Amino acid sequence: MLRLVLACICTSVLTGVVGAGNEPPNPLHVASRELELSVAKKAEIYLLLSPERRALEVRARGITLDCVSLGGIELLSQQRMIGRSLPSAPSVPARWVVKEGPGDADREVIAPEVLRPMPKEGEEEEEPVPNPAPAGAGPTPTPTPIPEPPVSYRVTLENGWDIWITDRLPQQGFLHLIGAAIQDGWRRWRGQGTDLAPAVTLVMTAEDARRLHHLFRTGTTIIVTAGEH
Amino acid sequence: MLGVQVERPRRRWVWLVLPGLVAVLVLSGGCLGLLRAGRPLVATRFELTPVLSGSFGSGIGVEKRAARAEAELRRLAPRGAYIVIDTYRNRLHLLEDGKVLRSAICSTGTGRVLRDPRNGREWVFDTPMGERIIENKRKDPPWAKPDWAFIEEGYLPPPPGSPERWDNVSLGDYGLYMGDGYIIHGTLFKSLLGRRVTHGCVRLGDEDLEFVYKNAPLGTRVYLY
Repeated sequence: MLRLVLACICTSVLTGVVGAGNEPPNPLHVASRELELSVAKKAEIYLLLSPERRALEVRARGITLDCVSLGGIELLSQQRMIGRSLPSAPSVPARWVVKEGPGDADREVIAPEVLRPMPKEGEEEEEPVPNPAPAGAGPTPTPTPIPEPPVSYRVTLENGWDIWITDRLPQQGFLHLIGAAIQDGWRRWRGQGTDLAPAVTLVMTAEDARRLHHLFRTGTTIIVTAGEH
Repeated sequence: MLGVQVERPRRRWVWLVLPGLVAVLVLSGGCLGLLRAGRPLVATRFELTPVLSGSFGSGIGVEKRAARAEAELRRLAPRGAYIVIDTYRNRLHLLEDGKVLRSAICSTGTGRVLRDPRNGREWVFDTPMGERIIENKRKDPPWAKPDWAFIEEGYLPPPPGSPERWDNVSLGDYGLYMGDGYIIHGTLFKSLLGRRVTHGCVRLGDEDLEFVYKNAPLGTRVYLY
C-alpha cells in the first residue's frame, strides 16, 4: 500500500515539477489545485479523481493518504439499441459531492430487549433465562461477523450523475448488448424496470472497491482534476 | 387413390410448419418489442470537457495563481509527526515529514448501532473519519464507562459518578485523546487486533502503543479514513 502511495505522490510531485518548469503552468491544472485548496482548508477526508493518471486518491490537507489505481474510467448510461443519445461528458475540473452513498446505510443494529440491574459487588449474578426456542428452530446463532462490503455499488452525486464502483464492466459485445436489452425490456414490460442516472464508472480491483465503500458517505467531496499532462 | 395419398402428407407438412412459423414470428415480434423497450448499459469513453471559470485570463496571472495555490497547500499539510489510520485495513502509520516511522495493526469501530430499549437512543460505533488532533496524552488512563458500555451488556447504567463506572485496566498503558471521547489506547484483547471490533476508539498492541505515545507529541494530527 505504502509503495502505491509513494508512487502516487511521485507522480503528483512530477506533475507539479513539470508544471513549475519553464513552460507556463496549465490553467486547467492550476484551476484543479485551487479547487483542491478550497476543500483542503476543512479538516475532512476527500477523494481526488485523476482521469489522466487513472488514479483515485484519498487525501486530506493536500496530502495523499492512500491511492487506488484504476483499471478503467468509462461513462455508462442506459441506451436504446436504436436511436442512442449519449450523455455529454461532465466538465472538469470539478467538485462533486456525494448525495447518497452506500457508506451511510447497511448498519447492524444491536438492541437488548430489557436491561437488568448491575449485580452488587460480591453478588453472584443470576443468569438470565433465555426464552425457549420455537419447535423446529435450529441452534441459537452466534453474533454475526461484520459483512464484507460489496465490490460493485453506485454512489449518487448532487449533480445528477452517479459514480459506479465496480471490479468489472458489463460485457459490451453486440450479442451481450442484445441479450441485456431483451432482459431489460422484459423487466420493463413487467413493470420492474429501473431508470439509472448516467454513471462515471471506475473500474478497480475487488479489494480496492471494498475498501473505498465506507468513504462514499453523504457529503463526501470528490475533486476531479484536469490538465496534469 | 394414389393422388389423394400424395396430397395428404403435403397438407400435414403445411399444418405442421404453419404454427411453427407463427410461433417464430410472434417470438421474434416479442423480442423486437422487448429490444426496442430495453435499455442496456452502454459504456462510452470518459472524455474530459475542460471548462475554466471566467476568472482565468483576468486579474493575476496563471503563474502567480499556481504559486499561491501550491504555497497554500504546503501550508495546510502537516509538519513533523502525523498519524494515518486506515479503518478498513485496520492499520495505523506514524509518519514524520512523509517518512514512515512505524506501521502497526490496530482495531477500529464496528460501525454497528446500539439502541437503548428504554428510550430508543442510539449510538453508532464508528471510528470518525477526517482530521483530528492529539489533544491530551495520559499514562495508565482510567476509563469512565459511558451508558452504552452497560446497555451493550444488557445492564441498566448506574448513576453518573458511580464507582461502577470506573475501569482502570481496559485502556492499557497509554491513552492518546483525539477529542469527543475517541482515544488511541491499548487492549486486553490482543487476538482481536486487525479486526473492526471497537466502539470507535483505536486499539493498539502494547509495544506499538508505547512507540506512538513516545513519538507523537501533543498537537499531532491524526488522519482517519
